[in-house]
Amino acid sequence: MSEAYEALSPDQSRALTAVLDEIIPPSRDGRLPGAGALGLAAAIEDKMREQPILQPAVVGGLETLAALAREAGAGNFADVAAGERVDLLNRLAADAPAFLPGLIFQTYTTYYHQAAVLEGLGIPGRPPHPEGYPVAPSDESLLDAVRDRGPVYRQP
Amino acid sequence: MSEETVDVLIVGAGAAGAAIAWSLADTRMNVLCMEQGDWMDPAQYPSTRLDWDLGRFGEFGLSPNSRGRETDYPVNDSGSPIQISNFNAVGGSTILYAGHFPRFHPGDFRVRSLDGVGDDWPIDYETLAPYYDVNARMMGVAGLAGDPAYPPKSVPLPPVPLGKLGETLAGGFNQLGWHWWPSDSAIATQEYEGRAPCINLGPCLTGCAQGAKGSTDVTYWPAATRKGVRLATRCRVREVTIGADGLADGVLYYDAEGVERRQRAEIVIVACNGVGTPRLLLNSASATHPNGLANSSGLVGKNFMFHPYAMITGIFDDPLEGYKGPTGCCIMSQEFYETDLSRGFSRGYTLETTRGMGAVSTSMLGMGTGRVPWGEGHHEAFAQLHDRTAGMVAICEDLPEEHNRVTLDPELVDSNGVPSPKIDYTLSENSRKMCDHAVARGREVLEAAGAKEVLGEPLLAVAGWHLMGTARMGTDPATSVVNEWGRCHDVKNLFVVDGSVFVTSAGVNPTNTLQAFALYVADRIKNNLENLFD
Ligand SMILES: Cc1cc2nc3c(=O)[nH]c(=O)nc-3n(C[C@H](O)[C@H](O)[C@H](O)COP(=O)(O)OP(=O)(O)OC[C@H]3O[C@@H](n4cnc5c(N)ncnc54)[C@H](O)[C@@H]3O)c2cc1C
Repeated sequence: MSEAYEALSPDQSRALTAVLDEIIPPSRDGRLPGAGALGLAAAIEDKMREQPILQPAVVGGLETLAALAREAGAGNFADVAAGERVDLLNRLAADAPAFLPGLIFQTYTTYYHQAAVLEGLGIPGRPPHPEGYPVAPSDESLLDAVRDRGPVYRQP
Repeated sequence: MSEETVDVLIVGAGAAGAAIAWSLADTRMNVLCMEQGDWMDPAQYPSTRLDWDLGRFGEFGLSPNSRGRETDYPVNDSGSPIQISNFNAVGGSTILYAGHFPRFHPGDFRVRSLDGVGDDWPIDYETLAPYYDVNARMMGVAGLAGDPAYPPKSVPLPPVPLGKLGETLAGGFNQLGWHWWPSDSAIATQEYEGRAPCINLGPCLTGCAQGAKGSTDVTYWPAATRKGVRLATRCRVREVTIGADGLADGVLYYDAEGVERRQRAEIVIVACNGVGTPRLLLNSASATHPNGLANSSGLVGKNFMFHPYAMITGIFDDPLEGYKGPTGCCIMSQEFYETDLSRGFSRGYTLETTRGMGAVSTSMLGMGTGRVPWGEGHHEAFAQLHDRTAGMVAICEDLPEEHNRVTLDPELVDSNGVPSPKIDYTLSENSRKMCDHAVARGREVLEAAGAKEVLGEPLLAVAGWHLMGTARMGTDPATSVVNEWGRCHDVKNLFVVDGSVFVTSAGVNPTNTLQAFALYVADRIKNNLENLFD
């Protein structure tokens, strides 16, 4: 673990939360939360703490994003008008190419094991064990045609 | 341990080591097994966590090179398009295996006679049939009697339920008139011998927290230790040593603290798998065996076989409930198992259907294939994939070729400084054609089952989990390493009982057969104790 790990500033955390909500916004039907609103910024920070190798790309990306937000007349990416944020992220993709792909990967893989998300998808929001899942016994008549064909192996 | 001479020393507590230990415990012999790994704690398996889907990227990963466990040894597999996948613990690779548990076909032991390729085995299906039965009882095999792809066989437990996904795929096979059958599975579908029944957790490949999957830490080992076998963990065997009489007299090993120790034994049995076994024999080179132990034929490490795997995935319109049920155990098809030269290759393959993916894996598939974008439209695109994938893998029969081999890496070593194995493997033209054929047939059946789109991967790089052929059996010491009951031609009290002894690979998963062989060897030893070393 690197001793040099520095927590994100409140401004950076706020911007990161807004970026996460752009990567995975809330669903239109309201069943699935946005990744930022779900609090994934903290999970991404935890990942950076565990794997400091991720930090330079995230921090560098957030710095570039802050500069782009200032150019757009906002103090923070979170204050950029909703309709302009995607444009800014696309510009960011050109200026800091390592930032978005890595962040998207972390966001997807973190978002899709949150209990609230699983429930929104119609899956129980719990680990598989210990409750498991019931599966009904199978319909063996499906095999009738296979049985009717007789043996399909060679006897040497 | 060091002063005592045990009657039997088994190296490796995986599938084969466990089976032979249990059987030999019937004798009054003093049996000790040494295993480099630990006992596993099922409460730590990923399926007990919400982020279970990420388990396969961490300490339950497939590759010993990325897993980062100190009980693993690294493998240089950069010279192979297929990477080694294993696990080192009590239970060995069965900790991670899917439990898909078919037998070989009778014809698989007569490949040269039937098809003029590979070689015939010095034993046949009838030799192993009673041991398959014992193994089914001990491992707790679920399945359905009457499969027309096999001679009649016993299956102690009812089959794993097909679920909506399995029934959908079965419909595709039926539409084409192709063979399929519920898979024989080493999965307790009911409470069985103290094991809890399968509750369809899904992620079997990162360990079964329920204890329903028949990994040998929950099948043979409890029974073997009750019968008096001793199992010593964290013992990494460096070499088998030879006495002045030319017989194996024990091993040198490293204990948990890395201290080198000696264990003496009257009989040594190696069960370290198709890569670990040749590594140990080659590391046991000495003045009398300069090319490695039991290697007068020069064949230790050669004829290495994988099963090349193709993977075919269908995307369906409707949810399939594919996250419920054992990942790799549902139905299988042997429509393309037996040789038909009009297909352009000899021998054949099994199609083993696989269940669906967890949400994290689905998101990764979506990301990797560009189907699930970030931002606007993310949820709609994700919903098109989520719980709508089903597919299959093709387990293709690989044929033995001497240039495919396991040697010792000149530089890479494990944490005790013991040289690591190096893999050199080229996919043969026959195997490549078979994989391509499987992708095309898999596409056909998935479309017949209603898939709106099919993705094919002709060679699954991570699927190097069936390791065979590197100490082949035969009656001629010039062309084989062990005899027809696993005894090394060169060293008469040294046995090999894992997939290394396979002469050919068949087109099915190997564990049932290698365990049946281990049980057969145990009986040969038990019945020939008087003149075992003649
Ligand atoms: C992800 C995955 C899925 C699989 N799915 C299936 C399936 O569905 N069906 C099937 O039939 N097979 C499957 N397999 C393969 C199956 O696990 C193996 O065929 C089987 O475990 C091999 O048994 P074995 O006893 O030869 O070796 P292993 O089970 O690998 O055991 C070897 C043991 O020897 C120990 N060892 C090695 N070297 C030393 C040493 N020098 N000193 C001390 N100990 C040592 C190792 O630590 C290990 O525990 C799968 C494997 C994997 C990894």
